[in-house]
Amino acid sequence: MTEINKWVTHLIKNPVSIFPLIVFRITFGLILFASTLRFILKGWISDLYIKPTYFFTYYGFDWVRPVNSEVIYLIFFLLLLCSIMITLGLFYRISSLLFFILFTYVELIDKTNYLNHYYFISLMSFLMIFLPANKFFSLDNVIGISKKVKTVYAWQINIIKLQIGMVYLFAGVAKINFHWLVEAQPLTNWLKHQSDFPIIGRFFLYDATAYLFSWGGAIFDLLIFFILANKRWRIYGYFIVVIFHILTSVMFPIGVFPLVMIVSTLIFFSDKFHQKILSIMVNTKAHKSSEKIEDQHKNSYIMYLLVTFFVIQLLIPFRYLLYPGKLFWTEQGYRFSWRVMLIEKAGYAQFYIHEPKMDRKMLIETRNYLTPQQEKMMSTQPDMILQFAHYISSEFKDSTILETNGEIIKLGNKPKITAEVKVSLFNKGSKDFINQNTNLSMENRGFMNKEWILPYED
Amino acid sequence: MRYKSFVISFTLVLLIILLMCVSCQKKGCTDPIALNYSVEAQKDNNSCQYQDFDKLNLLKNLSDNYITPSLSAYNDKINILNNSVVSFISSPNIQGLGYLRNSWEDALLNWQDIAFLDFGPSEYIILRSQTNTFPIDTTELQNSIISGTWNFQNSTFNDSKGLQAFDYLLFKPGYTDEGLITYYQSDTNATNYLKSISEDLLININYVTQQWDLQKEDFINDFETTNTGYSSNSQGSSVSNIINALCLHYEFYVRRGKVGLPMGVFNGFSQQELPHLVECYYSGKSFQNAVRCISSMRKFINGASYIANDNGVGLDDYMNFVNAEQNSQQLSSTIDNQIVTILDELGNYNNSLSEEIMTNKTALSSSYEELQRLVPFIKVDMTSALGVLITYQDNDGD
Repeated sequence: MTEINKWVTHLIKNPVSIFPLIVFRITFGLILFASTLRFILKGWISDLYIKPTYFFTYYGFDWVRPVNSEVIYLIFFLLLLCSIMITLGLFYRISSLLFFILFTYVELIDKTNYLNHYYFISLMSFLMIFLPANKFFSLDNVIGISKKVKTVYAWQINIIKLQIGMVYLFAGVAKINFHWLVEAQPLTNWLKHQSDFPIIGRFFLYDATAYLFSWGGAIFDLLIFFILANKRWRIYGYFIVVIFHILTSVMFPIGVFPLVMIVSTLIFFSDKFHQKILSIMVNTKAHKSSEKIEDQHKNSYIMYLLVTFFVIQLLIPFRYLLYPGKLFWTEQGYRFSWRVMLIEKAGYAQFYIHEPKMDRKMLIETRNYLTPQQEKMMSTQPDMILQFAHYISSEFKDSTILETNGEIIKLGNKPKITAEVKVSLFNKGSKDFINQNTNLSMENRGFMNKEWILPYED
Repeated sequence: MRYKSFVISFTLVLLIILLMCVSCQKKGCTDPIALNYSVEAQKDNNSCQYQDFDKLNLLKNLSDNYITPSLSAYNDKINILNNSVVSFISSPNIQGLGYLRNSWEDALLNWQDIAFLDFGPSEYIILRSQTNTFPIDTTELQNSIISGTWNFQNSTFNDSKGLQAFDYLLFKPGYTDEGLITYYQSDTNATNYLKSISEDLLININYVTQQWDLQKEDFINDFETTNTGYSSNSQGSSVSNIINALCLHYEFYVRRGKVGLPMGVFNGFSQQELPHLVECYYSGKSFQNAVRCISSMRKFINGASYIANDNGVGLDDYMNFVNAEQNSQQLSSTIDNQIVTILDELGNYNNSLSEEIMTNKTALSSSYEELQRLVPFIKVDMTSALGVLITYQDNDGD
């Protein structure tokens, strides 16, 4: 017991240097700033949140809307502002709280835009609300909102390491599957189009390279946390982190995520290392640390909250086990699980609305309702197919249609919607994805198994 | 206080760095013969690459043996059309009308060869809408002729100009050939209009041919390489551009526009036929143009050269290279077989498409099914095999 107690004290209650947390606040803040700015400059606010007429909301979060273009621009402006304030440590608590709320709100608007790295930023900005990252080298110090402190509790640093570790570990566990390890899919296919990659491109034409990358990637994800946590191996581990993420960022269009990880993993380095970084900018030696740690974790509600936060994160990736069928095909329980670059999937969906009496059907031209990106994401993901069917059904609810031959057709309260969907997984040829006789407007949304998804045949 | 001044100076430095980022000097490859030569780069960062993969052959073959000769063949036909118009309007007669109709028919068939090359300069001037929009807005067209004023620079005139306006003007309903001659002898506005549309066609294709000559090197070396160093068929790369253009043209302008829409497939529950929406409604030459367009797409996919029908490096070889399969068959042969089936189907009809729509819909419906069957093969299977995203939107993935 005493061993365990010691260990707990070491990881949680020990007073440690605040420097790693400060460096993390500054670098992470800068990345938040850069990625938000990049998002704005690419014109994505308009492409993703203003142009679409329909948004694929998350189940239970249907109330999340972009409101209007002024509001969404204001939100992004505030995100920029908050990220600068986080970096400078100005009104840190409020700005980190506001950043978390606004960022998560934006991400909840449309699941078309779901990316694991946005999820990571949401989680990390949530954690930052509870960390005393403004207690040193901050404008809050200067204006007197927070006292200058040089020690914090060990958990206040380790919680960041835990969050990063979970990302890698789950990403690694997700790679332990037949396609990734035995077929080296989807990398086998992807690498073949990368043969013009600088220097090593010619090797991408060999299947062996795909296997090397697949296995290397899986081993990297599974072990990197432990390597970084080890004092002696840390420096080599970080070297691999940098190589791995730079390689992926050049090869795949994954935006700023590699940079986020390269910068975040610096947290694993020693206090001395962070002190050195900070000492370039500020005198870290002055005022020998004699002050007491502010007794923050007396607030046990926060502890309970954070424990729950991690337990939920631990369980969510396994929810797919509750569903029958092949995960990569049905994607039931796929999101929020650190499944990164695991599948190659493409689809094509045609929707029909049926008339009540003679059961004639009318083809819906999807492109009139969705952006190309929405259409693409929707055609491979059953929950989005269902949402779109419901949307079409409600658009045509109780409507009267005048046909060109003069016929008048009255549609009921819940017009029948069916869809023909072809999906190709890992380039094995397009196949029928859902039962094309199912009336989708009568199927409920939610977490229940979607029985109208056809089983995957290999 | 020292501490405060440290923090404040850090803040200032940070803001200065942020400002400087905006005015950073661009680095890249400065060697013009490298694949990733960057025009914007001012400083070489040793990133130049010179490579030897098939993709280069593919793009070179498509550009040299299909795109360039097909553009110039169409350009020639438009020149001939233009000459026929000039000689016809100088003294309208039966023989001149015959020549004019023939040269129009030739030009339209040649148009089908390049209609799906909707990238680069063609995309830039929206050549497809300017050249072959149908149905023609006959009211607008007639009003223009009566008033003697029109402005083809304005895109609202796209549906009263181009090759389909000829279809109307040379095969005007209610006119015998003699009647048509009399009409053009007596109405100078009408002859001026003919002249204007053929000149407009000529200006557009001249522009596209000239621009293509300037741009084709970039195309062969992959447009995108100028920005990021290498392309991997990403958004904006040549492979991505040709495949997006091919899929869009087939799905939207051939399957839907040339056949589906006039058949009524997209017309509500009753699927009431809309035969006046066919291409070449007035001359009745819809089938030959649809067949020509699909055959040309087949040539292009198979990498055949435009003039001699040989087999060069094409998208089919690229699909084979990545072992793309559909139903445990080579994807390339699945696609080719499907195209052959479609061509057989469409070659079976004796009357014009608008007549067949009204009299023979059952047979046409099964032909349409075959047209439809090709869509997922190219839009899902081909694009994902070649690592191309079907989207015109820029975005991150994970």
